[in-house]
Amino acid sequence: MIAALLVPMVVHDTYIRHLFIIAFIYGVVAASWDVTLGYGGIFNFAHVSFFGIGVYATGLTAKLLGLDPWLAMLFGGVAASAAAVIVAVPVVRLQGVYVVLVTFAFSQLVLQLVISQSQVTGGTQGMVRVPTLWLPGYNFLRDYKFGYYYVALGLLVITTICLRWLVRSNFGLSIKALRDSEDYAVSRGIPIAWQRLKALVASAFFPGVAGGLYAVYLRVASPEIFDFSTSSLILSMVLVGGISSIYGPIVAAFLLTFLSEGLANINNFAEGRFMVVAAAMVIVLLFFPKGLASALPTHFAKKAAQRASTLAKPKGA
Amino acid sequence: MTADTLSAILVSGIVLGSGYALMASGLSLVWTTLGIFNFAHGVLMTLGAYVAWTVSDSAGLNLGLAAGIAVTVAALIGVGILIERVIVRPFYSNRDILLITVMTTLAAMIFLQKGIQLLWGARLKQLQPLVAGNVRILNTTISAQETLVIVVAPLLLGALWLFLSRTRIGRGIRAVGQNPDAARLIGINVSQLFIVTFALSAVLAGLTGVLLGSVRLLTPEFGSDPLVKALIIVIFGGLGSLAGTIAAAYLMGLVEAALTFFIGIYWTPSMIFLMLIIVLLVRPQGLLGKVVR
Repeated sequence: MIAALLVPMVVHDTYIRHLFIIAFIYGVVAASWDVTLGYGGIFNFAHVSFFGIGVYATGLTAKLLGLDPWLAMLFGGVAASAAAVIVAVPVVRLQGVYVVLVTFAFSQLVLQLVISQSQVTGGTQGMVRVPTLWLPGYNFLRDYKFGYYYVALGLLVITTICLRWLVRSNFGLSIKALRDSEDYAVSRGIPIAWQRLKALVASAFFPGVAGGLYAVYLRVASPEIFDFSTSSLILSMVLVGGISSIYGPIVAAFLLTFLSEGLANINNFAEGRFMVVAAAMVIVLLFFPKGLASALPTHFAKKAAQRASTLAKPKGA
Repeated sequence: MTADTLSAILVSGIVLGSGYALMASGLSLVWTTLGIFNFAHGVLMTLGAYVAWTVSDSAGLNLGLAAGIAVTVAALIGVGILIERVIVRPFYSNRDILLITVMTTLAAMIFLQKGIQLLWGARLKQLQPLVAGNVRILNTTISAQETLVIVVAPLLLGALWLFLSRTRIGRGIRAVGQNPDAARLIGINVSQLFIVTFALSAVLAGLTGVLLGSVRLLTPEFGSDPLVKALIIVIFGGLGSLAGTIAAAYLMGLVEAALTFFIGIYWTPSMIFLMLIIVLLVRPQGLLGKVVR
């Protein structure tokens, strides 16, 4: 945490700072995805489209309506949550593969809508010259990404705190209960549709804001965000990091952002890096079905057990 | 609405529906038999069209379309078997097989799509039409290739139905779909049939690609839109029912053609999604499906 605060003091290269900012943003998306996918057990594949909706909602309101970019970012979160309500209406009543199909269809249809409304959204070309963030007397564009670094880091920290609180609250416990034993949880009076709706709406807010930051930071909104490759990149962060752990996806977001950007610098390999990420995802699923994080806790658990047993021994025995 | 617009909507709806029916039936076949959803199905269609292009086009090997189709069929049998072996088979005994295979087939889709982009580049390509010229049907002029799609799709689907209902392997596939444990007990080689099913579905996708590759332009994302439509169709038609899937495919084609005519191409996708939500709210099992839990 402190190390993350100090990074910009040490790293003066704007490209490396850029990678950190992107990793923070992806971290927000991946960690919040884990609330519905990991903790809720809802096969929600629309999460990246919530991110994309945040990008476009912020871009459109900031550019066309002249809304203050800070407020536009928040609006991105609100718009993503509103979209989550629309997705939730059919999803809360369905099960298993139907949930996957509906959420997938939703994200593709949002993409179609963005492409087709080209007079507003710029169609396949995307939307450029989105207004940047500003503070009185401070220029975000001329500080070698210093300001954006801290905004993105701040967003990640706030998101992490909120998500931790969310999954540990009674509400978080109830969606875990629904995941683990639906019939039992329902019989104990947990309203399944209502809890799932709340989980989707709450977890959609964070990628919405992250999308807003993405839009005002890169100053573009392009339909590639809705592409399957973005989905699979962030999905692989959730999987590699390990589901049902908020921190795992964040760590994986760093690893994979730097890995995939590093590969992108190899000549003519900008597209090929997604092949590597896809292959990595399959390999992790084959050998660590619960994510790489699942390999670590057993190690820590052993250590803890050892310590506990040494403590339990009476002194001098 | 005049009779001419009605027939125009009918004809273009049937063209769309034929393509969707071929795509959705392959998807539905794998779902019924193996209980998994193959998200790489769309990219298999793309792959089929690109392989056929390479073999048949003058800029490629220039061996003619017949050779192109033959190589496509062979290549897709291979890829289908490979996908089944590498990313589906290891998870058969897993409790979360449905979710895991969604992820692995999604990964396969990205892998193949980006691979196609690396191998063939992003430049647009188009297959030679199998038949040239235009045909007038019901006062509407469409290309002969589109007519071919209308004719070939029901033939292929009929052949699929005959295969599933008359041959020993086909009946075995249906038996596995109904109850894999019972099928194993009576001596059916289940894992062999899984491979056959996967290869068959891949070939269906590849042939769809060859048929549509001369109607539309080839891009690495060629199969994405048909995949999403096929997913929606499979939900509409009800999971596990091949007849329901095919009926829903033609219905979807007609609805799409009508919506495109009346409200324009811009709003059609959102309207289709809205319809999907409404159908699922009223009948969560799909229009023709049975309740499965």
